[in-house]
This record gives sequence, structure tokens and C-alpha cells, in this order.
Amino acid sequence: MKPNRPPLPGQPAPRLQQHWDWRAAGNFICGGSGGGLVLFAGLAGLTGAEVRPQLAAGLVLVALGLLCVWFEIGRPWRALNVFRHIRSSWMTREASVALALFGAGALALLTAHPTAQALAGLCGLAFVYAQARILAADKGIPAWRHARCAPLVLGSGLAEGAGLIAVTLAGGLQLAAAAVLVLALSARLLLWRRYLDGLRADHAPAASVQAFDAIAPRLVRFGHLLAGGLALLAAAGALGGLPGAGIALAAAGLLAAGAGWWFKYTLIRRAAFTQGIALKHHPVRGGKPASLASTPRLGNA
Amino acid sequence: MTAATARNERKVPSYCYNCVAGPDFMNVKVIDGVATEIEPNFAAAEVHPARGRVCVKAHGLVQKTYNPHRILQPMKRTNPKKGRNEDPGFVPISWDEALDTIAARLAAVREKGLVDDAGLPRVAASFGHGGTPAMYMGTLPAFLAAWGPIDFSFGSGQGVKCVHSEHLYGEFWHRAFTVAADTPNCRYVISIGSNVDASGGPCAVTRHADARVRGYKRVQVEPHLSVTGACASEWVPIRPKTDPAFMFALIHVLVCEHGVGQLDLPFLRDRTSSPYLVGPDGLYLRDPDSARPLVWDPVAGRAVPFDTPGVQPALEGRFRVAAAVTVDADDARQPLADVEGVPAHTMLVEHMRKYTPEWAEGICDVPAATIRRIAGEYLENAQIGATIEVDGATLPLRPVAVTLGKSVNNGWGAFECCWARTVLATLVGALEVPGGTLGTTVRLNRPHDDRHLSVAAGEDGFMAQKFNPTDKAHWVAQPTGRNAHRTLVPIVGNSAWSQALGPTQLAWMFQREVPRDFNMPKPTLPDIWFIYRSNPAISFWDTPSLVETIATFPFTVSFAYTVDETNFFADLLLPEATDLESLQMIKVGGTKFVEQFWTARGVVLRQPAVEPQGEARDFTWISTELARRTGLLEPYNKAINRGAGGVSPLTGEGYDFSLDPTRTHDVDTIWDAICRAASTDLSQGRETHDLAWFKEHGFYTVPMPQRSWYLTPTLAEKGLRYELPYQERLLRIGRELGNRLHEHGMHWWDTQLSEYTALPEWHDVPGRWEQALVDSGAKPEDYPLWLLATKSMQYHTGGNVSIALMREVAQNVRGHAGVIMNANTAKGLGIADGDRVEIRSHIGATYGKAVLAHGIRPDTLVIPGQFDHWATPVAKDFGMPSLNTVAPMSLELTDATGSGADIVRVAIRRLEGSTVQ
Amino acid sequence: MTRYVMSIDLRRCVGCQTCTAACKNANATPPGVQWRRVLDLETGEFPDVRRSFLPTACMHCAEPPCAEVCPTEATQKRRDGLVTIDYDVCIGCANCVMACPYEARSIVHEPRFAYGDQPIASEAIRFDPSRISVATKCSFCKERIDAAAASGRIPGRDPEVTPACVNSCISGAMVFGDIDDPDSAVSRLLAKTQHFHMHEELGTGPSVYYIWDHA
Repeated sequence: MKPNRPPLPGQPAPRLQQHWDWRAAGNFICGGSGGGLVLFAGLAGLTGAEVRPQLAAGLVLVALGLLCVWFEIGRPWRALNVFRHIRSSWMTREASVALALFGAGALALLTAHPTAQALAGLCGLAFVYAQARILAADKGIPAWRHARCAPLVLGSGLAEGAGLIAVTLAGGLQLAAAAVLVLALSARLLLWRRYLDGLRADHAPAASVQAFDAIAPRLVRFGHLLAGGLALLAAAGALGGLPGAGIALAAAGLLAAGAGWWFKYTLIRRAAFTQGIALKHHPVRGGKPASLASTPRLGNA
Repeated sequence: MTAATARNERKVPSYCYNCVAGPDFMNVKVIDGVATEIEPNFAAAEVHPARGRVCVKAHGLVQKTYNPHRILQPMKRTNPKKGRNEDPGFVPISWDEALDTIAARLAAVREKGLVDDAGLPRVAASFGHGGTPAMYMGTLPAFLAAWGPIDFSFGSGQGVKCVHSEHLYGEFWHRAFTVAADTPNCRYVISIGSNVDASGGPCAVTRHADARVRGYKRVQVEPHLSVTGACASEWVPIRPKTDPAFMFALIHVLVCEHGVGQLDLPFLRDRTSSPYLVGPDGLYLRDPDSARPLVWDPVAGRAVPFDTPGVQPALEGRFRVAAAVTVDADDARQPLADVEGVPAHTMLVEHMRKYTPEWAEGICDVPAATIRRIAGEYLENAQIGATIEVDGATLPLRPVAVTLGKSVNNGWGAFECCWARTVLATLVGALEVPGGTLGTTVRLNRPHDDRHLSVAAGEDGFMAQKFNPTDKAHWVAQPTGRNAHRTLVPIVGNSAWSQALGPTQLAWMFQREVPRDFNMPKPTLPDIWFIYRSNPAISFWDTPSLVETIATFPFTVSFAYTVDETNFFADLLLPEATDLESLQMIKVGGTKFVEQFWTARGVVLRQPAVEPQGEARDFTWISTELARRTGLLEPYNKAINRGAGGVSPLTGEGYDFSLDPTRTHDVDTIWDAICRAASTDLSQGRETHDLAWFKEHGFYTVPMPQRSWYLTPTLAEKGLRYELPYQERLLRIGRELGNRLHEHGMHWWDTQLSEYTALPEWHDVPGRWEQALVDSGAKPEDYPLWLLATKSMQYHTGGNVSIALMREVAQNVRGHAGVIMNANTAKGLGIADGDRVEIRSHIGATYGKAVLAHGIRPDTLVIPGQFDHWATPVAKDFGMPSLNTVAPMSLELTDATGSGADIVRVAIRRLEGSTVQ
Repeated sequence: MTRYVMSIDLRRCVGCQTCTAACKNANATPPGVQWRRVLDLETGEFPDVRRSFLPTACMHCAEPPCAEVCPTEATQKRRDGLVTIDYDVCIGCANCVMACPYEARSIVHEPRFAYGDQPIASEAIRFDPSRISVATKCSFCKERIDAAAASGRIPGRDPEVTPACVNSCISGAMVFGDIDDPDSAVSRLLAKTQHFHMHEELGTGPSVYYIWDHA
């Protein structure tokens, strides 16, 4: 059965959401990776390394994601209204954090001060967190509102960030990057497994589970085992001063990031089935002993 | 919408009568001269059973008004060739040209004579569903009355789509052209294929919903879980067309297992023919002197005429009758002495003994225990002996009913079902009493709006019946209409409605081919054919062939809303002002179709809520112009004065609003007179309201006692009996009809003659369809499934397939995307939900999407409504299949009333390359 | 306090879509947008099958997830229980569509008409460009409720100030009114029937009560 096939007429089957397309997915992909990258760039900056290119790249990614959203919303010229509901809307908070992120990022790029860079990094983390909470608040999509979804989205953003930073770092930080990447991938794998188990246990729409099952083997094999293995190789290479460590690390980083993108595209576009309809009780259509015709409505009397 | 307050907004009271379940009240909301919404008319809440509400179809009337595909000016055909592949080349013309063209044609007909050499009217007319077009055609009936003989026998669905046998036998047995449960007072309904929650209109839906909440039980017996089945308490998925066996078994349980002691003895004894003694030849034993049927007087120990004062006749036993006479066909009398007389009830018991639930189980695929339980529940809920106060009178309360649906009560097997249903009612005394099985209107008897006034004493203690004669002196050997209703169907009578209720498919079939020993003049084509609110090229059967016949009609005039599959072959298209644009008054309340028994009766006005679009003209204007231009103005006006406008005569006791017959009157003048006459008549002179008053108030009603819902008290007053269970008269009439036909060398109606029996036997009803396949050279095993149709409230008789809103909302209801089939059957055939499929019968194929469900028997397919359009805008893009495309017109499958059932043997397969979208 | 709610008696509903059509006309929604509709549901396998009809629309939740996630405050929960959308503020981000567990919200990005590109008269006179590219949904016929405050009429009792769907329903399945008024028709009906909310485990607190049996 194709996942996007319409349900039988009137069947209470969940339906694939049709309002958020690749542009929305793009925001979660770019925003997660960008936020994660800024976070790890900020952390790397604490060592004194030159991380402005990575910071800049992270900010560009976040901006690209937001641009995608701008193209997606129905009334783009009213976009500033997005800031009106900080009290409870994680979308408002995401936009607000984005402002802080760009502010801190600009400061970090201008000053190259480790504190500013670290502040930007924290904003990057907050941005990824806000994105994860946007999905968590969407009660209409069981695969998103599941308690284990937000940690996975956050974890994936961090793994993507760790992957991207690993691609770009050189020299002494490679070992640390490889270690961080292995840790991030391990965490994401764990969260992924727990998420899938959780969806099953909590009876999420079958089509959502099917969509994830369709990518699960390759996601694990390439995005985690192979990526993690390469990162370990790179770490070993870095320790032993072997050539090719950088290449292995870059490959690991790209695989880690790519896996995150694939997961999020699937999450937004392929697995986003609605709640569906629940008929808790069948209506009782007569047939019970009742007062019946003993008190009929009479004519004009 | 901020400017709404500055807008001119008004609400215009009107009515919807798009289907026979109407009329229903509504308001049209008009903003700045544009209709925007249909709303209930809550001013009618107290008089209307549905509290002033209309169903979904009425909400499409806004789009109906502004549909850009409407015909908005008179058009004439420029391509003389007619065919499905011939572009008609319609071009706009003026009203003058259109009306003059028709008038010239009509004048030519008058010149030649109103009937042709075959004795058939030269003018024919086909109007759509169940008389509803009359609720929209203004004073056209007055023009038709002024004209003279018109052939209404080219059906658009009558006989094949209506509940035909119920109309005929229902009216025969209890003045019940339409039969319903007394839903407001009922507690147990066996609903056999009746889809009242889809086709009963707001009144039925309201009443059944109230009854469900009250706790009544409805057992739905049908092959497919319809909307009505969904709302029932229990679904019994019976094998198609085996309903008579199911019902015979119910009767068996009542009369053979429970026995007469548990039945309504007084009712059977006094209100039915159950005590009439039947002789060895199957005819009533009659008093040798008076020829009145005899009953057995157990006190006197002898047979006496049924109407002997004080007699309490026996219902059971076998008695020796000293002297009697029987009267057979053609008044053949036979004196008998010392003959055994058996009460009709005993005849029934012995007749039904073989029809056990175990026997029925094998035929119906319904467990015997289920049948036995249902019969028991029916008997228990009948509360025999209970009474109720209605309008100050104490009446029996028998809150059980059996209702029948289309294809159960038409076509072969329908006679048996209608008989069994009515017998089931009589056994527990539930016929025409509170809570029971009721008739809701008469059409073959008069007056149409009062069943009670149609009851008069006839022969043998029964109601008088107006049969078409079958005696040698009076039998109509040469048909007066193209479906030969007077010749072939005695029971249909010869009222204004009878012709359209004849065997309408014969009119179509005989245009192509007549039986070898037809021995009557070959039916001719009409010189002029009028069509309105009717699309037989979609709504009849074997539509591909029908279209070829329609294309041969020499001159066709269509009152046209859009181009459709029938008027595609018309010579003239005339745009009439539609529902929200035109003026007419009709009756409400009284006895009406379906569950329209009200506690009020009166009149309601339809009025122009908005200006007619384009050149569309009010039907009354069109009718007046036709009358004027054909020189029939005077008889036309006189017909209006007589009440042919459909409401009251314009003169009555103490009032005279009649029109000057010599003058041409405008639309408002005509209806103003009708408004005044109607209100004066209804109020018995207390109030007179003109058109302006009605435009403001919408309707006028007076109370109608609930007691008038029930016919039995009227029969009791007149000392009459229902002609049940034994059908001696039908037996005799059938023999007479056979004699007449055979005298003329005609044997092609012999199969139909077999229906005239005193007590119906089970014959293999489904087997008739299999035999028909064999007889037409096909193999039954190649067509293993039953295809049925089901009604759609969104479309039913609405003529609204080109209304986009209906399409949209109908998609929410199962089946409106294609053909419904059992999910397991589909799996076995490799068909998935949404696959495009071919449904093929031995005459052709129809195509659509598969809609999989579990609420349908594995051997059954169901297609809602009737579609497969190829000319009607919007609908031609639906891709919907239709039963009508693949259902054959067949003499073999036509019953004695002239009707056929909406059922076909088919095969289904997935179309290669079909992909689910 | 006043809290407007709707009860829907599933025992009565026949799935006829009269309310669907009445709503479409009353609110001039474009083709394909149904602020309310009646679902035709089947459960079980032949021959033990149940077919039910379930009207659905915005549930006007007490804790509306749509309002929570709306970044613009275009979606508001009013004190009288109505969940409203300010079309002049909404940016059409569709976050509310994702948040609603009842699939009650629609967004269309271009004008749509029943018959092709051009509106028919009844569409043209009510075409509202502010509804393009923003979220729309059942409003409980807000304008009528607001008119009640001005006129002193009572929603649920007086048809002029009662939602179009409730007025139209031929089976009498729907009752509308103030649940905080113990004497309102809806309060009295709910007191003597058994009912449920859809997806009540999500904590949304719907204002639509589905009646399935007597108490």
C-alpha cells in the first residue's frame, strides 16, 4: 500500500499531512544541521581554534531553512507576525531564538571572541531544541507528538552538527571531533531505536511506522554503523598519525549528517500521518426495550 | 465580509419537492438579488413533520440557479441527423420562434387527428420521478388537459426504478400507493430492502431518528448494508431476490408454529376474507341465491353469507356445505352441492406449511433460527389487544410493520413480497391501525389527497376497485397507449396516473421489436415528444439501445436545464425558470408519498426568490403561450378554473375567483386566483389570502386529524374487509385476461399470467435471471455476481448531477466513487480499493472504481444512483459506472404488473494498467 | 460564564451531508474545503459489520492545541468557548493544521470556484480574499453568536443565532447551546445521555459531545 494513498472513503484511517512540503522539511534539515554546527563550532572555538567559517556556514544553513519556510507560508509579507505568541508557541520561540542566534553569530564573526562564539553555540542548541518542540506540540501528528520524537530530533541535529564540524576540522581537533561524533551517533542510534519502539508500543499510525521501517536498515547501517566505524577509524588514525584519517572523518561526518537529513525528510514528508478518527462507542440504534409506543405523540389534541 | 450589514438581505419562503418525499419547507436567503443559501423555514416547524427542514439536495439549488452550464435561451437543433456521435448543433433562437415552431407542429397534429392509425396518441410526454415534475411545471397540466389524449407511456424509470408492485397491489389491498410504517408509533419494523433513511426525505429521517432514540427496533434485511441498514438495529444480509422465501417463512412461523390463537382473531374474522370458504376448485363458495361468499357459522353449524348479521365465522376447519355456487372467469357459474368448504385462513395455513424457516435458510442464506426469532419478535411486539387513544377515539395499537424496498417490491417476486407483507400485517391486526403498516397516498383511485374518500363498497364485502376490464365485452383489445397498460394490466386501472404506471419498458422495447404473436397494431412513434425533468437515456435500462430509439423520434421538445443524454436528441430546448426563479402553489400535508402523513394540510407557494437567469421563463407563461398559440386558450383557462393547476378549483362554495376563459392571463394573475381559491377553500370561507400574502407568509395550513392516517376505522365504519389473504378475484381476472389474449392468438404474455394466483407459491425468483441468461445464449457461470443499485439521498431524483456541490458532499458517502464490492471477493479477484474495474453483463459493460467494504454480501455488487453520463456537463467527467448501462430490457424479466427489478447478473474484473491514484 | 458546545447524537445521524452542504453555503467555503463533514465509517467483517456516521468539525477545544502553537495569535480561544481565527493576522504557516488532532483546518492558496476559474454569482458576491492562504475552519458560525449578544437572542434556541449545521440537520442530531447553563437544551440532553469526546486522551477538552446511548 502506498503510504499517501487516500483511505477508503470515510475510513478512519490516518492521512498523510499535505500542508508541509519539502520546504518545511528543508527548515528542519537546514535548521537542525545549522544549529548543531554552530553549537559545535562555538564549543570548538573555546579551544582557540578558528571556527568562523563553520559558524558562518551554520548560520547560512539556519537562514536557508528559514528562507524555505518563508517561501512556504501563505502570507509571507506578514511574516513578522510570527513573533506575536512567545507565551506558548514554539514557532514564535524558534523565530526569536533565530534572531538571538543571528545576533550572537554576527558578534562572534565580528569579534572571533570565544565567549561570543560559545554564546552563538548555545543559541544554535536552543534553535535545534525549539524546532524539536515545534513538532512535539503538533498533536495532530502522532509521530511528531510522541514523547521520544523531540529528543531524537534534537539528537539528530546534534549528530548532524557534529558530523559537519568533523568534515571541516583539521589537525588536533580531529580526534576530539571523532570522539564527539561517535558519541553523538551512539546517542542518536539509541534515540532512534527507542523512538521506533515507542511508536509501536503506543500504536502510532501503522503507515508512520512503515515509513520509518522502510529507511531503518540503511539509516542504521550507513548513517550510524558505517559512520561510527569511520569515525573510530579516523580517531585511531589521528592517534596513530596515519594518513587518511581526515578523509575517513569527513566521510563519517557526511554520512552522519546525511542520515539525519534523510530521517527528517521522512519524518516531515513520509511519516507525518494524522491522528485519524476514533469512534469510541458505536451508537445504539434503537432495539432496546424502552418506553416505546406507550407514550406516542398524538394528533392535534 | 464586513460589508454584510450594508447589503440588502432577505429571506424568501419556498418549498423543495425534488423527490417524492417532499414537499418540504425552506427559505431562500438572497443578498443583493443573489441567492446565497437555503435555510429551513422554522415558521413551518409546527405543521411539518421535519420541522421546516429540507434535505441536502435543496442546498444545491443555489448552484442550480447559477450553474454556467444552464440552457438560458431557446435553442433549436441544426443537425437533422440524430445520433450519439452527431453534434446536435444547437443554436439560439427567440422564444417567439420556438413557440411558433411547436404551435405549428401541434396544429399539424390536430389537423391529422389526435390519435394515429394505430390508435395511439400522436403527442407523447415523459416527465420525471413520481409526479414531482408537476410540482414545478406551473399550469402545464392545464394545457395537457386542454390538448386531449397524450401518451405518457415512454417511462423514464417508472416500473423499473419505482416500487411498482407496491403501488399497484398496495392500492388494491389497502389504498396504499405508497406503504410506510406508522413510524411515530411503531416499535418493531422488519425493513426488507427499504432505504428510507436515504430516500424518505426529511420527514422520514426525522421520524426514524426519533423512533431510534425512543428505542424502536428496525431489522434491516438486504444484501448490502445501506444507509438505512447502517441506522438499523440489526442487519440480515439476505441473498438477492429471495425475499419472498424469507417472508413466507415468517408467515409459516406465525400461522403454523404460533397458530391462530396468538393472532388477532377479531381483525382476521371481521376485517379480512380469512373466514371466506374456498371450494375444491379454489374459488369462493358462494350463496346460491345472492352469490355472496359464504362463511361457516359455528353456532348454527352451517354456511351463511359473510355479511349475515351477528355471525362469528370460523377461521379454521373443513366444513361440508350443503349448497353453493362458484363464479369463475367470464362469469362461469358452477352450482355445487354437499361440497367441502375451507376457510381462507386454513387454506393459508396449509399453503404455508411447507415454507419452514429451515426451507428458507437454504434459499435466503439466513439462518432458520434468525427467521424464527424475527417472527417471534414481530408477534410479541404487536401487543395484540392493546389500544390507544387517537383524537378522542380508541383504536387498536399494533406497533409492528414490514416495509419493502425497490427491487423487493418490483419485478418478479414482488407480488409475493407485497402479498406476504400485507398478510403479515393482517395476521396481527396491524394493517392501517396505529403503529402498524400504513398506506400514505392513493394515485390510481380518487381523490388523490384523501384515501378515505376513495373507499367505497364493492363486491364481496371488499372495497370497490377500478380495474381495467377483462370481460369479453369491454376488454381493450387495441392499446390506447404504447405500453398497452389497459390491455395487459387490469390492476393498474385507467386513472391519470395509470398509463405512466403501465409496463413502461414495453413502450421502449416494442419500438424495436414486438413478439411474434403480438397481434396488435405495431406501436408507432409519436409525432411530438415532450420531456421535462426526465432523462430516460440515463435513468432507464439498456441505455445504449434506448438512446438509439430516442434518436428516431421525429420531433422532440425538451424543457431543458442543461444539455443531457436525452435532450441531446431534441429538436428544441426550452429553458424554464427553475426552482428559485418561478411561481407555483402546491398542496402540502394530507396524504402524500413516503412518510408524509402530517397533522396539517394546506398549500405552499414557490416564488421567484431571484430573477430568472438569461431567457428562462416561468412554466406558467410557457404553458399560457402554448395554449394561446395553439388556439386552446379557452379550454386551458377552463382547466385552470377546474383546478388543473394542481390546487383548488377556482370556484367553490361561496367563492368564485375563476379566470375569464377567453383572455390571456399573466402568471401572477393566474396564481393570485389560485391562492385566493385555495385559502378560501381550506378555511371554509373564513380567510382569503392573495398572492402577495402568500409571498410573504409562504404557506397556509389547517389541522388534519391523526386519525385520518389510518384506513381501518373507515373500513370498519363501512363494514368492509381487506381482500386478504386469499386472492380469488386476482385468480379470476388472470384467467379472464388469459382468455382474452388467447382468443386473439397472443401467448407472449403467458408467463406473466402465472402471477395471478390465489395464494402465491415460491418459484425460484433468482433463477429467472439465470434462465434469462441461458435464453439469451449466455452462460450463467460467466456472470457470477448480482449487481444492485442503491439510492443516494444526494442525487435521488434531483436531476442535479451537474451541481458541483452535490458531487462534493456525495463523495463523503460510501460508494459515490464507483461500485461497492465485498473486500474478500475483491481480494480473490485481485482487485484493490480504488482500482478501475469493468462490470460486465451479457449486454454490455460499465466502468468505474472499486469501493471495497465488508457491509455487502460476497456475491453482490452495488452501484449508487444512476450515472454513466456522456453529455450532461460536470457529470460526464465523473467516471461513475451505472447499472442502467448493463441492465437488459426483457419481456422474460417483466412481471404481471409490467415491472422489472433493478438487478443484473454480472462479472467484474480489474482493468489492466489500472493503478490506484 | 458561558461556554458554547455542540452535542451530536450519533443514534440519529444518517450521514446525509445536509449539514455539510448547509455549512458550505452558509460559510461560502470553496470546493474541497469542508469545515464540517460527515464520515461514513465501517467496522468489522462480513457479516458482523457496523456502519456509522460521524460528523466532524472543529471541536472548539477548551485547550486548543492549534491556539497553543499558533505563532501569530491569529487563533484565539474566546471566553465563550469559541476558537476563532483572525484572517488578517494569520500567516498561513499551517502549524495549527499539524496541531489539530481532528483534521478540522484547511488552507487554500488560490481562489477556487465550483465551475472553473470564474465565480458564479453566489460565489462572487461573497468572495473574501482575506481567506486565501490563511487557515480556516468551523467557527460555530461566529457572526451569529456575536449577533446574539447584540440582539438578546439565545444561540441554540433561536435559529437566527444558531450555527447553520444545527439548523439544517434533518435528523435532529445536533443541539447547540451554553453548557454552563444547566437549563439549556444541550445541558439537559447531555444529562440524560451517554456521550464521549473524540480523542479525549489528548487533553484537548473538545466542546463537541458525541451521544451514543441514553443514560
